[in-house]
Amino acid sequence: MLRKIKEKLFLLGITIATVLTILPLFHIILSVILNGLPVLLERGLAFLTDTVAPPGDGLGGIGPAIVGTFVLTFLASLMGLPIAILTGVFSAEYPNSLIGRATKTLLMIMMEFPTILVGLFVMDIMVIPMGRYSAVAGALALAIVMMPYVAVYTEQALREIPRIYREGAFALGLSRAIVVFRILMGMARKGILTGVLIGIAKVAGETAPLLFTAGGSYRVYFAGLDRPIGAIPLLIYDLVQQPYENYHQIAWGASLVLMLIFLAIFLPIRLSIKEVKM
Amino acid sequence: MIALETVNLRVWYDNKEVLKGVSLKIPENVCFAIMGPSGCGKSTFLRTLNRIIELNENARVEGDVLLFGKSVFKMDVVEVRRQIGMVFQIPNPFPHMSIYDNVALGVKFNRLARSKRELDEIVEWALKKSALWDEVKDRLREKASCLSGGQMQRLCIARALAMKPKVLLMDEPTANLDPVSANKIEELIDELKRELTIVIVTHSPAQASRVSDYVAFLYMGELIEVGRTEEVFENPKNELTERYLTGRMG
Repeated sequence: MLRKIKEKLFLLGITIATVLTILPLFHIILSVILNGLPVLLERGLAFLTDTVAPPGDGLGGIGPAIVGTFVLTFLASLMGLPIAILTGVFSAEYPNSLIGRATKTLLMIMMEFPTILVGLFVMDIMVIPMGRYSAVAGALALAIVMMPYVAVYTEQALREIPRIYREGAFALGLSRAIVVFRILMGMARKGILTGVLIGIAKVAGETAPLLFTAGGSYRVYFAGLDRPIGAIPLLIYDLVQQPYENYHQIAWGASLVLMLIFLAIFLPIRLSIKEVKM
Repeated sequence: MIALETVNLRVWYDNKEVLKGVSLKIPENVCFAIMGPSGCGKSTFLRTLNRIIELNENARVEGDVLLFGKSVFKMDVVEVRRQIGMVFQIPNPFPHMSIYDNVALGVKFNRLARSKRELDEIVEWALKKSALWDEVKDRLREKASCLSGGQMQRLCIARALAMKPKVLLMDEPTANLDPVSANKIEELIDELKRELTIVIVTHSPAQASRVSDYVAFLYMGELIEVGRTEEVFENPKNELTERYLTGRMG
């Protein structure tokens, strides 16, 4: 009898703990939808294309910030993905070499590294010498944030391939480059793609690395790679701090847009991740 | 002519000696079986012949392997593996590639075909040689993962044959197959040995007696006995061999 009560209490305990853990997620989603949806409905598509309205005067739109997020994410991918994938390959192919072992540990640290420090680093090496915030600087910061995710996923995807396939490929008299790039990476492509998408989703929502690098720009669309650029998270951060009610509303609308972009990248990953196994 | 010869071949994994000086001569165009209980070093022996053992960083090899008189350790490793094909215990066609691409792969990247047509011909030839052509000729573009285990293993044989190797190594090729599929592979071995040398590792004396012309018995990393299959089976000279053949040793 006592044992049964204990069991019930335990079950109740972990259920409550689980609910408490997940509750914030639903709260965030719900409040973003409740506050953001009216803004989107009121402005319609114009919210996605217009520029931010003046203080206290209507809503306008977040067009430049959306464009900025896409430009920054694209540039960051361009800079970060090739290097990150090659790093993952190296780490998978030479796991026992000194550099291979160090790389793996360092990647893990890099993943958990405070992203604001990445922003400071890029500010130091790029923004200060150039004398202004710029799209390239923002993209570089995001690339640095993205790389460890992509590298680690690439490494894991390659390592998950059973040894017999490596041996089979080498037994055909193929060179290491062909074995890795034509065969193993083909087999690991879903895992690598997952890493790439996770990296992209991660940086699309980043604010901290952009604070001292991208600068922000909400009334002018893309002005050039060496000019300041906006981004949705950065816009939210800026607007929420303003004392104007209409800016807070824009920020909610922008939050909903950001959440939708994030989900659009993330949901397919979650759905396809089951297929990764062979 | 001697296709393969090992000279005092010794192999260590870390500090454990698993092959303790094996010297063997394997004649051309025969099926040569290596048998012995599990852990006797027979797979290690096979993996040394085409230097695939070098993928294992902990392995150290001493002695020599001569392929038609030339040391494989002095040859380019790619060249060694082109001339010595290998089929593994677990069928391992590349699951993301088509049946055609699995066979064409080695030929294509080693640039052994001069044209698309020649490549097509080699693929067809290899699939016919491995007795798979009739079953797959209408679905060459399908993924290799749609084949049955036995078909996959024959695809692996085709993949190896397409490179026109002089020697084919088979590491317990039927261990993971049902009896019917296993039987097909054994028939295939009988066909293939007319044109190339086959070295097969098996833990089953029955299989060795069915498929091989010569047999070597390894025990605890040492070569105990070697000879023509019928002689070894009818008249084993060593007591260990006799105990193994009569099932008194696992």
